[in-house]
Parts: sequence; structure tokens; C-alpha cells
Amino acid sequence: MFLVDARITGKRLVAREMYVITMHAPQIATTVLPGQFVNISWSPGPMLRRPFSVYRVDGERIEIVLKAVGVGTAQLLSMTQGDRVSCLGPLGHGFEFGAGPRSAVLVSGGLGVASMTLAARQAASLGIRVTWVHGARTKEDLCSESDGDDLIWATDDGSKGVKGTAVAAAPDADLVLACGPNRMLAAVAARWPEAQVAVETYMGCGTGVCLGCAVPLKRGGYDRACTEGPVYRASDIDWATLPSHLSYAATP
Amino acid sequence: MSVDVGALTLRGPILAASGTFGYGTEMPLLERRALGGMVSKGIFLRPRSGTPPPRIVETPSGMLNAIGLQGPGVEALIRDYAPKWAEWDFPVFVNINGESAAEYAELTARLDGVPGVAGFEINISCPNVEQGGLYFGNDPRAAAAVTDAVRKRTRLPVWVKLTPMVSDIGVIARAVEAAGADALCAINTFVGMSIDLNAYQPRLSFRTGGLSGPAIRPLAVHLAHQAARAVRIPVIGIGGIATAEDALEFLVAGCTAVQVGTATFVNPRAIAEVHDGIAAFLGARGLSSPADLPRYLPRD
Repeated sequence: MFLVDARITGKRLVAREMYVITMHAPQIATTVLPGQFVNISWSPGPMLRRPFSVYRVDGERIEIVLKAVGVGTAQLLSMTQGDRVSCLGPLGHGFEFGAGPRSAVLVSGGLGVASMTLAARQAASLGIRVTWVHGARTKEDLCSESDGDDLIWATDDGSKGVKGTAVAAAPDADLVLACGPNRMLAAVAARWPEAQVAVETYMGCGTGVCLGCAVPLKRGGYDRACTEGPVYRASDIDWATLPSHLSYAATP
Repeated sequence: MSVDVGALTLRGPILAASGTFGYGTEMPLLERRALGGMVSKGIFLRPRSGTPPPRIVETPSGMLNAIGLQGPGVEALIRDYAPKWAEWDFPVFVNINGESAAEYAELTARLDGVPGVAGFEINISCPNVEQGGLYFGNDPRAAAAVTDAVRKRTRLPVWVKLTPMVSDIGVIARAVEAAGADALCAINTFVGMSIDLNAYQPRLSFRTGGLSGPAIRPLAVHLAHQAARAVRIPVIGIGGIATAEDALEFLVAGCTAVQVGTATFVNPRAIAEVHDGIAAFLGARGLSSPADLPRYLPRD
């Protein structure tokens, strides 16, 4: 875990209101694993840090994906090259590739692309054939960037690819990795109990001490999305108790 | 930088506050030299799973939490954490909780003498449990009864963490002082609520939560000051400390030491920065110790 004063090096639009921000964070770039995240603060900004999956690594730079959903993310998006953010990471327990899977299907919904690129590249490096299923509301909401051997698009309105959900559009595979809204992940759990899913929760510290990011477990009790998660075996989560949408905070 | 809290000498005036530092094993980035001590996450006799999510929500300059004292219970604490504490070069206080004075007493008896346990912080101020917690903190007789029950079962330092949710903190402070407390910790979180306007209901599943962070600091400075005026025992100031200046306000207002809490969530190095900032402040004014700071503490 490193605390890096990270210089912003770039920003690009990848879907409607969805941006990739690039920052210079060498210690994190060289140690992050697929599915891990960083907890970021900026000034002026909210009091608590905000968690972001690491989307890509490029040399000493890491990338995150965000959507302009509130004042906080608008502040982050208004920053320009050379501005600095405080970046804590890499955090959490990421995807596991185990021994011997020959095929993987990656299912992402909306911003869920954020934890998929590193996973796709890791899988490819292990000789796994990767099918990535991108889901979003409409064509405009689909991330324009992707990775993997095969691509499937799914939109709620049918404006691109298959009409319907990414989960419905996905083929079976030896390994299923998913990231997206928790409702989507609950559907993943119903179809593939053994899938690995990266959940979204409210988060405080990101380091395991505040216990704010509680994930309810089927076996009872809670553990921490920031430490034992954010990646879980889909069937381990009590989906009925995990909040399905996050109106992130009372203030930006 | 050392300070005396009653008979106990801390190497520095800053402790990590309960619930913001886990059991001390989770914070790889903090320079531990800055820690005068640490207070563990609150513990009950038995394991507790805590409240369902959402458990936290950010509010202006602060946050509400309703964790519900999730914890592994005292036996796991003794097995998994106390042996590590015994090797550390700063004291670890255990934040103890119960649903009755008898439970506090039993917990104290179980922990007393365990290597690594340096003392007790009696939590009579947690707003996020259905039984106990705040109930003991806003009734002087109940607060004194719990303090007395703990006091009778240990010779280690006994601190009492007070709630701000009272009309006169001095009354509670005097009651627990008379019952044998060695120091007071002032204050725990304020009870607050935040409403989700999409769902037309509270954002937290517990409905209410404890407000912490810079939002409460002026309130906390005032209450810690009031507590310090009311008693002769030391007061440890808590509430929204994020910088050295914040901590110094509590010290000048009559506190002997401070605890840093929510700031650690935001900045894992907050305690070290507060420590170094206090040292620089004292150095610049030719003061050799926090105890040499002029105090604003007119006696009642």
C-alpha cells in the first residue's frame, strides 16, 4: 500500500459523461493486480476519499474511470494536467485466475469496465481466451475501449449489439468475472454461482479500519469490501441485503 | 513530547481513537513513533456482526457512521491481537462495551492481566447499539455504576469515554470521577441523521449514526473544556482533530492528551502529521512539552 501524490497526466472521454483519467503513480502502477482499486482525495474536494478501480496501467501511470455524477466527480474532472490528487493504493483483494481455465468471460455493466481491462490482460497473458461482454443502457453509454479476443455488446434499448442485459448476452466459460451495478451482479450470481464479482459499496478508509464498506455474506455477518473484497465469489454474497444502488453521499 | 495521564506516562500526546484504527494491525503507512498510544475498536464479551449496510454516509465536513460495534468478541481479541500489542512500544487501551454493568465487569475481569492490555476505555457513549451504549452515558448514576464495576476489577488505568448527547457534561464527568475513573475521554460522536431524497428514508440502515469529523470540532472543544473544568482527573480531547492546530486547541482548552480518529480514514499519516506539527509549534515557542502549554481553564 502506497500513498502517492499523483500528478494528473491526461483525460479522455470514453462514453457519454464517462471519462478516463490518467495519473502518475509509479509505486501503484508496478504493484496493482486486476480487480484492485485506489482511494483518491483531491482539493478542493469531499472529506472522504473515493474508491476507483484501476482501469489500466501504462508504464508508471495508472488510469481510472469515472462518470460525472455529482459535484465531487465534477471537481475531479475539472482538474487539468499537472494538478495533483492524493492516491492511496493498491487496495483490496482482486480477481484470481487459478490453475488451468482455458476460457474466460468478462461481464461489465456501465462503469464496471473499470475493473475489466487489467483482468483481460492478465487472462490473456495466461493463455486464456477472453470474451468481454459490455453492457450499457444505450450505444452512447458503452465504453469505446475494450480488450480481449471476442467482444459482445449489449444495450437495454438495442441501439448496439444484443438488445438486453450483458448477463443474458454472455456465453458460458471456465472463468466468469463481472463488475457493474450490484443488481447486475446479483443476476451473475444466479447464473454462475462460482463467478468472481467486484462489488460496489460505500467506503470510508479503504484500509480496513472503519468497517464502513460492509458486505453481507450468505453464511452470516459482514466483511470488508476494501480488504477481503472488492472481488467475491458471487454465491458468497447475501444479495438481498447489499444495497443495489448508491446515491453516494449527502454532499459532494 | 511525553505527557502524564494520571499515573501513566505516554511518550506523546496523541492516541489513535477507538473505531478508527482497528486493532492496530491494519495501518502499514503510519509511522508508529507518533503514537502515544492506541485505543482498540470497541469490544463486547461476545462476537457481534454489526449493522447492515449502508453504514456510513459523508456529510458536510464530516461523516455519519453506524457500524454497530462489529467485532470478534473478547476471546478472539485476547487470542489474535493482545499478543501483538504486548510487543509494541506504546500502550493499547481496550474500548469495552456491555449491555449491563455486570457485562462491563465481566469483560474487565477477563482482560485484566492479559499481556498487551494497558488499560480500559469504558464506552458509555456508542450511539449505534440497541442495548447499553448511550444509555449509560447520559445518566450519571448509570455512568457511575459502570465505572465502579470496572474499577473494582482492575488496577490498570480506567478511562471513561463520554457522550456529547447530554445537557451538562460536567454532571456525568463528576459522577464517573467519583466512581474511580483515572481519566475522561471527551467526546464520542453526536447522534445525527441524513435523509435520502430518492428513497424518502434515512441513508443509514440503522436510521441514525454518529457524526464525526471536523464538523464537530468546535462543539467537541467546548465539551472537552467543560469536562476539564468539572473534574481534577485528566481529560483526553476527541472530536474532529485533523491537524496539529486542531489538537493544540484541545490541549489549550484543558486537555492533557488527544485522540485522532476520522482524520486517519482520510489521511493514513494524520497522526504523524499532528505529532510533528505539535512538536514544531512547541519548538517555535520554546516550550519543551505539551504540559508547558498555557491553559485556558478557569475553574468553576
